[in-house]
Amino acid sequence: MTAPSTARIKIFRWRAVGPLLVLFIILAILWWLFADTIARRETQKVGTQLLGAKVEIQDLHLDLKNGDVTIRGLTIASPHEAFKNLLQADELVAEIDVIPLTEKKLIIDRIAANGLRFGTPRETDGRVAAKSDGKGSGAGIAERVLAETREWASQFQVPILQLATGKLSIDSLDPRRLSTLPAAEALGARADSTQKAWQTAYNELQLGPTLDSAAATLEKLNKARATDLATLNEGRLALERLKRANDRVTALERGVKTGLAGLQSGLAGLDSARRRDYAFARSLLKLPSLDAPEIGTALFAPSAIRPFEKVLYYTQLARRYMPPGLLPRASTGPQRARRAGEDIRFPKEQALPGFLLRSAELSFLLRPTSDQPQRYAGRLSGLTSDPALYGRPMVASASGPQLVAGAMINHLRGVPVDTAGATVGGIPLPSFAVPGLPLRLDPGAGTTELGFNLNGDTIHARFELRSSNVTWARDTGAAGQNLTNTTIGDLIWRTVSGISNLELEARLSGALHSPQLAVRSNLDQAIASRLRAVVGEEVAAAERQVRERVDALVKAKVDPVRAQVNTLQTQANAQIAQQRARVDELQRQLEQRLRELTGIRLPGSPSKR
Amino acid sequence: MFALVKLIQSLIGALHSEGTPGQLALGIALGSIMGLTPLMNIHNAIVFGAIVLLNVSFAGGMLGWALFVPIGFLLDPLFDWIGHQVLMAESLRGVWTSLYNTPIVPLTNFNNTIVLGSLVFSLLLLVPLFFATRWAVARYRVTVGERVRQSKFYRAVMASKVYTVYKMFQP
Repeated sequence: MTAPSTARIKIFRWRAVGPLLVLFIILAILWWLFADTIARRETQKVGTQLLGAKVEIQDLHLDLKNGDVTIRGLTIASPHEAFKNLLQADELVAEIDVIPLTEKKLIIDRIAANGLRFGTPRETDGRVAAKSDGKGSGAGIAERVLAETREWASQFQVPILQLATGKLSIDSLDPRRLSTLPAAEALGARADSTQKAWQTAYNELQLGPTLDSAAATLEKLNKARATDLATLNEGRLALERLKRANDRVTALERGVKTGLAGLQSGLAGLDSARRRDYAFARSLLKLPSLDAPEIGTALFAPSAIRPFEKVLYYTQLARRYMPPGLLPRASTGPQRARRAGEDIRFPKEQALPGFLLRSAELSFLLRPTSDQPQRYAGRLSGLTSDPALYGRPMVASASGPQLVAGAMINHLRGVPVDTAGATVGGIPLPSFAVPGLPLRLDPGAGTTELGFNLNGDTIHARFELRSSNVTWARDTGAAGQNLTNTTIGDLIWRTVSGISNLELEARLSGALHSPQLAVRSNLDQAIASRLRAVVGEEVAAAERQVRERVDALVKAKVDPVRAQVNTLQTQANAQIAQQRARVDELQRQLEQRLRELTGIRLPGSPSKR
Repeated sequence: MFALVKLIQSLIGALHSEGTPGQLALGIALGSIMGLTPLMNIHNAIVFGAIVLLNVSFAGGMLGWALFVPIGFLLDPLFDWIGHQVLMAESLRGVWTSLYNTPIVPLTNFNNTIVLGSLVFSLLLLVPLFFATRWAVARYRVTVGERVRQSKFYRAVMASKVYTVYKMFQP
């Protein structure tokens, strides 16, 4: 240290080569010993991150020399249900292409999966994405997609069957929110201005001088002879003036009629406004709709939307992980103590995709715990992270006794098209609580059909459930608290508990962000008619009360306006009729006298009208 | 606590080792790469190999690593941003696409925004950090270094077993 600058400094520390080599050898031995464990843990970690639910593997064996990977005891939890597995597999044997691993690409030529089981129960909550709100930069793709689909499904949480179980009250009706009152004020102001305008127009007619002059001329004519040409001419001129006065009266009458029609229309508008106010006031009561379609939607929409939500979740995941095109794409980086960041992939034409499963053969059991479990077979091909590179859509199919299922994920073009369909029969379907009612429905072994098509952002989907072995149970849990131990709850229980046949159909169509949902079941009509019989009178009385309250609030404003319009109409019509009668009478007398004097019938006489 | 003691031992040992300020500074600079970037990556194996094989201060390398780990955690949002800018740069897309489809290279995780962002940052920091550290170590040794060497604290630290292990890799 005293004179380091004078000594020749060596660049390499050769004596460290030995320890470094030893270190690498130790690392190699550790890899050899723990490769299976490391691969198993990494697979679990990546799988969990991708699916948003726990992926557990009992045993994983790597045989890179032969390109084989064997997984035993695979369990994938459901991302949606806390204590349920999406699937379990006894054994998966994958044949992988080893060379692409050097490019960090996983190409699986073939997977044989045996002993697949779906929907099995689990002891711990396996959801991962569901525990996150899916917001913030730290949220992974699965978390975000699950949050989006959950929000999407929440738009179909139609109000539960709200029945007036307590005293009806409309104290909250605020007069300022009624549309009739401002409409009545506006119409009153309009009637005032119309009345003034008519009075002005009437005064401008100035019929008095014309009538007086005509009366004087008539007096002269009565005393004149046929040879008194000047008087005759004067009579003709007076007749012309009377005709023009008559035209002015006609014009005024036309204006009055138009104005009155407008005011009558305003009165009709008041009636419409009052009907709107009735509806508004009724909505404050939250009275139940007793229409069958709405009851069907209220009863089954929350349950019927679940299959669509689940399929949409996987479809949207596929769209994120399998985007069309060859542009760089980002996905959440690996989980670690530090921030994960994003992994950007750079697909290249003619190159291998980052992930490709060329073909998978699936063998699975349904009803595994029954005496006669049913064995099914399925195939899957073309599951890839870069569909544009692989050039073919992903296709999956499964078939067996009472099962037909298929799916196609086509992300080759700019507009992705995802299609899935399944018909499952003879398999016990999970029971579910009917929202808002103290009921639990167990469909039994029924038939379920699901059709799903997401073309770009347009969705068309259908879910159908048919069962003749339906059983009902009273559910006193949280879901049924609203009507537990109420007359309505008992009524509905009595209505449905004897029904063993269920036909339920839900249809979804339209733009993905706000599609139309229609739910129909064979129970709708039965429940609706029973409800109508029991609560119909109460509802009718409440509606009467609502109307009376609205009427009381608007009466003070509407009635004077109505009376004002009617008075105005009567007055205007009377004034015009009176003036027209005077004009007509004078005109008739003048014409008659002129005819007597000249013997000529004048055209346009009142008798010809 | 043990880590803190080790850090102090490394710091004192490195500052008073027989290596030149340049060897110590280069060790710290190389160690900073390991600290700033996510550890389990191939480039860190190369950096570690360089610290071991090159005649730089191994203690300085460990010190640099230990000092820059928390800084790396703190600067992760910045690294994410840098990595994103670099990886998504239109002009570099061809380079990244070629590298991504070249054997072995993708195993470096260069396509991760944090890895690339932190590596770019640490490489840019390497040279100024080297010169700054070399100057600081030289100043320390000519000012308070000798007084510290005579202190009881220094003798206590140097007497520990960890220091014995460290001596194996002293320059």
